Amino acid sequence: MIRYVIKRLFQAAATLWAIVTLVFFLMRFLPIEGYFPEYDRMDETQIQAALTSMGLNDPIWMQLGRFYGALVRGDLGESLIYRPHVPVAQIIAEKAPVSIAMGLSAMALSLAAGIPLGIAMARGGWVGRPAGWFVIFLTAVPSAVYHLFLQLYGTAALGLPMLFSADHPASWILPVISMSLGGMAFYALWLKRYMADEAGRDYVRLARAKGLPPGAVTRRHVLRCAVIPLAQYLPTAVLTTLAGSVYVESLYSVPGMGGLLVEVIRRQDPVMVQALVLIYSALGVVGLLLGDLFMAALDPRVRLAGPARQEKGGSHDSEG
Amino acid sequence: MDRTILDIQALKVGFSLGRERIWVLRGVSLPLLEGESLAVVGESGSGKSVLVKACMGLLEGNGWIESGKIWYNRKNLALLRREREWLPYRGAVMAMVMQDPMTSLNPVRTAGAQLMETLRLHQGLKGSAARDAAAALLADVGMADPAACLKRYPHELSGGMRQRVVIAIALACRPRILFCDEPTTALDVTVQAQILELLERMKAKYRLSLVYITHDLGVVARCAQRVAVMYAGQIVEMGLVREIFYDARHPYTWALLASLPQRGVRGQPLYSLAGAPPVMTDKVRGDPFAPRNPYALAIDYEREPPAFSISPTHWARTWLMDPRAPKVPSPALRQVRRLG
Repeated sequence: MIRYVIKRLFQAAATLWAIVTLVFFLMRFLPIEGYFPEYDRMDETQIQAALTSMGLNDPIWMQLGRFYGALVRGDLGESLIYRPHVPVAQIIAEKAPVSIAMGLSAMALSLAAGIPLGIAMARGGWVGRPAGWFVIFLTAVPSAVYHLFLQLYGTAALGLPMLFSADHPASWILPVISMSLGGMAFYALWLKRYMADEAGRDYVRLARAKGLPPGAVTRRHVLRCAVIPLAQYLPTAVLTTLAGSVYVESLYSVPGMGGLLVEVIRRQDPVMVQALVLIYSALGVVGLLLGDLFMAALDPRVRLAGPARQEKGGSHDSEG
Repeated sequence: MDRTILDIQALKVGFSLGRERIWVLRGVSLPLLEGESLAVVGESGSGKSVLVKACMGLLEGNGWIESGKIWYNRKNLALLRREREWLPYRGAVMAMVMQDPMTSLNPVRTAGAQLMETLRLHQGLKGSAARDAAAALLADVGMADPAACLKRYPHELSGGMRQRVVIAIALACRPRILFCDEPTTALDVTVQAQILELLERMKAKYRLSLVYITHDLGVVARCAQRVAVMYAGQIVEMGLVREIFYDARHPYTWALLASLPQRGVRGQPLYSLAGAPPVMTDKVRGDPFAPRNPYALAIDYEREPPAFSISPTHWARTWLMDPRAPKVPSPALRQVRRLG
């Protein structure tokens, strides 16, 4: 197990390093116009002076070294155009908490509803069938459509506020529900599918053959195996809440991270773009790593992956 | 000894495949005597595994019991429909050992957890009492280090060890009947003999009635007292082991016996019966074995043969037994190689 963890940590570190370096070089390919909001009104000496002051005329390996150093110190640079001279870290620190809080509530809701929905769908019958219709509706209808309808009818029928304000709890309800629906359908569909896979297996038949009641068969055997592949997605889902939801946040005017990346790309703020791309890819890598570790904790078979397996396999007779 | 513990009468089981109905069991009658070892033999697709599933209420969703009775203790199990009604019979009355020990244990729970769950369910043991009983059972089924085995996951055990754990789980139910559905097919030959020996020992110790589902006549010769030969969802011949091996009357049984490798016969290809078992839709007429039967008579294509009695314990379902049928000398059958 420890070997497996160390191996995965090294892999994640290598991936992160590759991403950081790639982003650095991609940003160097940008035309230098991108660095100056008033490029057209500057002459050549001004441009060169500005480039030198930003260190962009130094040899490339020096720039790369400086970039690594700044990242290690946690310095993401200052915004150039979006909010000039404000540190990127500060901009994110202002916006991220709302997105994270809202994203985590939405995720909790989608799990709390998605898992029972999936179990109901796997069992079928008079609860399972309507659950299936609901999930198919969520999957088939474009999310923009039901987000809009939810806002329209939710505010009209339930008298909930149309726009978000952080200190008004009722204004959280609709955006959180909206954001949870996609994940809910995802968890329900896949859990149902994994449960259906497991339910046909021999060990489930053996569990039934020894007289275990249906509920215990589902809980202790079918579900226990079916959640493993799903568990892998969870850390990534938690971390990507930081990115916010573009559509829902704009619908309810939530001052979150959603749309920030699109905004800074549109307004051509290279430092902001660089920082956000780095953060999002790092979250992805860390999420995958946590997912794998989480899965290893749940599934004893994973712990043997890698060189440890051969040692173990060799010591047993007639391993299949 | 001759008390019937489980009495299967004219059991008919259907499966729906798409829009077609297939009769997997077509009126199987099979009394299981208390304390005996009964072997059900036949090729793949003859319905022998379905017989076990039907007896335990474990038919797949597209299968159903059309008619017939499964008597246990003056109760007709064929009438049970809901999962809850089956619970008192599963485990406590009937337990099962399946073919593939690689897949019949839950891969993410330890052998101990799966064994103790069974002990708790059927013997009400909890905590350390369950742990001790589980270790004792594992020792009983021949695990070298029972305490360590409790903490092992199935993938950390070899095939033979897993099958021992499965047998321990079955015994933990304290059943009266143990169905062994090809218990050794997936194992190494050396391990096969050990597992069969273990099953016989456990049968004596726990006074079980055993049903072996197998296509291995070596297993039959070694373990069983009575044999039922199945073909296309019907028992075509039934008798004591001696009667089946030395005085078989059904051409299908002859074919089965002839396909065994014989000691002292070299250089000849093994006999194999041409063709495949039929898919039993409603369209099949007469004896379903007729197209593959070198001794088929005209009537075989018209009407299914009844069971002709040869001795009180031996009968065969073939028109060759009819007094009007031409006399066919049964092929000289050499002594069957015994396993082990």
